[in-house]
Amino acid sequence: MTSAVFDVIEGGLLTTVQDAGRPDWAHVGVPESGAADPWSLAVANLLVGNDPGAAALEVTLIGPTLAVRDGTAVTIGLAGADLGARIRGGRRLRPGRSHHVAAGDILEFAPDDGTAMAAGIRAYLSIPGGIDVPVVLGSRSTCLAGGFGGLAGRALRSGDEIPARHPRAGGPGTGGTGLVRPELVWPEPDAAGDTGDPDRPTTLRVIAGPDPGLDALAGRAWRVGTAADRVGVRLDGDALPDGIGGETTTLGVPWGAIQVPPDGRPILLGADHQATGGYRVVGVVISADLPVLGQLRPGAAVRLAATDRATALHALRDRHAALAAGAAALRDAAGWGALIDSAGS
Amino acid sequence: MGDAAIEPFGDAALLITFGSTVDARLAARSRAAATALDAARAGLPAVGRPVPAHASVLVPFDPLAITLEEVVGLAERAVAAAEAGLRGVDPGEATTTIEIPVRYGGADGPDLDAVAELHGLRPSDVVDAHASAIYHVLFLGFAPGFAYLGGLPPALATPRRASPRERVPAGSVGIAGEQTGVYPLAMPGGWQLIGRTDAVLFDPARPDPALFRPGATVRFVPLTPSDR
Repeated sequence: MTSAVFDVIEGGLLTTVQDAGRPDWAHVGVPESGAADPWSLAVANLLVGNDPGAAALEVTLIGPTLAVRDGTAVTIGLAGADLGARIRGGRRLRPGRSHHVAAGDILEFAPDDGTAMAAGIRAYLSIPGGIDVPVVLGSRSTCLAGGFGGLAGRALRSGDEIPARHPRAGGPGTGGTGLVRPELVWPEPDAAGDTGDPDRPTTLRVIAGPDPGLDALAGRAWRVGTAADRVGVRLDGDALPDGIGGETTTLGVPWGAIQVPPDGRPILLGADHQATGGYRVVGVVISADLPVLGQLRPGAAVRLAATDRATALHALRDRHAALAAGAAALRDAAGWGALIDSAGS
Repeated sequence: MGDAAIEPFGDAALLITFGSTVDARLAARSRAAATALDAARAGLPAVGRPVPAHASVLVPFDPLAITLEEVVGLAERAVAAAEAGLRGVDPGEATTTIEIPVRYGGADGPDLDAVAELHGLRPSDVVDAHASAIYHVLFLGFAPGFAYLGGLPPALATPRRASPRERVPAGSVGIAGEQTGVYPLAMPGGWQLIGRTDAVLFDPARPDPALFRPGATVRFVPLTPSDR
């Protein structure tokens, strides 16, 4: 049984349904999609007892306005960038924790108190059980290029409804909806995202790619350009010397690949990257730093640091261990399994 | 396994490379290796679906669940098996012909006249040349359902438009350099548009979402005005 949890009053700049993505369709040209910052997606989901890759809302820079349905109380998980989430006329909703919201509450993103907008550009909003949209090619993620997946293959807009997968356990007023979970705090600093200080560079660690030039790439100061979206992030700075950038025989490219077109200005490929590309690939951002890539804010200073495979795998193991430790701490704090019915509290 | 090179591509993929040129034989080797590897990875969730291209295969994998050495070994065996198979007949290839009905020229092919003029041809000559050639699907990429096709007659090779269109309708048939192709979805694009088809190139609800299958033969069939 599906029930709508939110009515969308405003869609925000680009709010999409994303899960762990659909990596196995690149051979027919389908972008892998999924959360641009998979770490924060996982944190948001774990905060409400979901699998780390469950479908949630990815909120970009200017968030949506959502009205909680009548008769519905729900616990939301928030993670990633602090984009100013709050209950209209009420309390501030910080990322890295879960929050009860009540029927009739208006959930909005209003970065007006000077403390928001500190880091990153993407926030993740989860609900218990995940968002109930059809699985298309193995994923609930929105494929913006193909116009499928997520909510009708597009970003949220006014008039949409956000359906929950979790069935209601009882009728209105009984409070036993299964959508209410304990309020929890992620036990570790929710570290994904840049520092918010545009002059203090965010570092992405990079392994050499098939084409030469990583030393030149790593030696320069870069800034995130205005052409930055889920497909890729263009870096501004002094162009790389002639001979590094250029076209190449079109090849399959992974998320995090750093393409250098003939103009010498690199492009960092994001979650919605094209499956194949025809520009030279000078490096690849390590998997452990893809969440950081997904939070880069236009204008932010970026440094690309050359690293090796052993360091990359060590960092990835650390990420997984941190996620597992956080999940275990949440389970302990929640006494998970015995859902706390706090509807109406 | 001949002259294939197998190298890591980032920390979570490797790249099998057969060469660096656009050559139908290299694309066929890439497809065969990808097919063999896809079969070999059955039961190995740590290895992702291989992505063949002009002269290479991208092989994604989970580096915490399988070692690089194991994936390299898997790739080497798949390449060897594929190369052995290519010496014989590959029944999976070139047995399918996909016919794409096309309305050439007019509003459906707004660049047909310009392409003809550039080559000193009549528009009907361009249509005849484009529709009489036999094309092969080299691989898919760029956009959902987009096929890189080999076989454009060299006389039709045309540079991209100086200024891309903000929106090219789905089904548009175009030429860019030495390639021809069909836009599966509406999107911005700089190809010279010579016609349009109603064929649905990509539908995620189909069991096989992409109409074009790697290795298949493609023919463009002109629709006369009475067919429209």
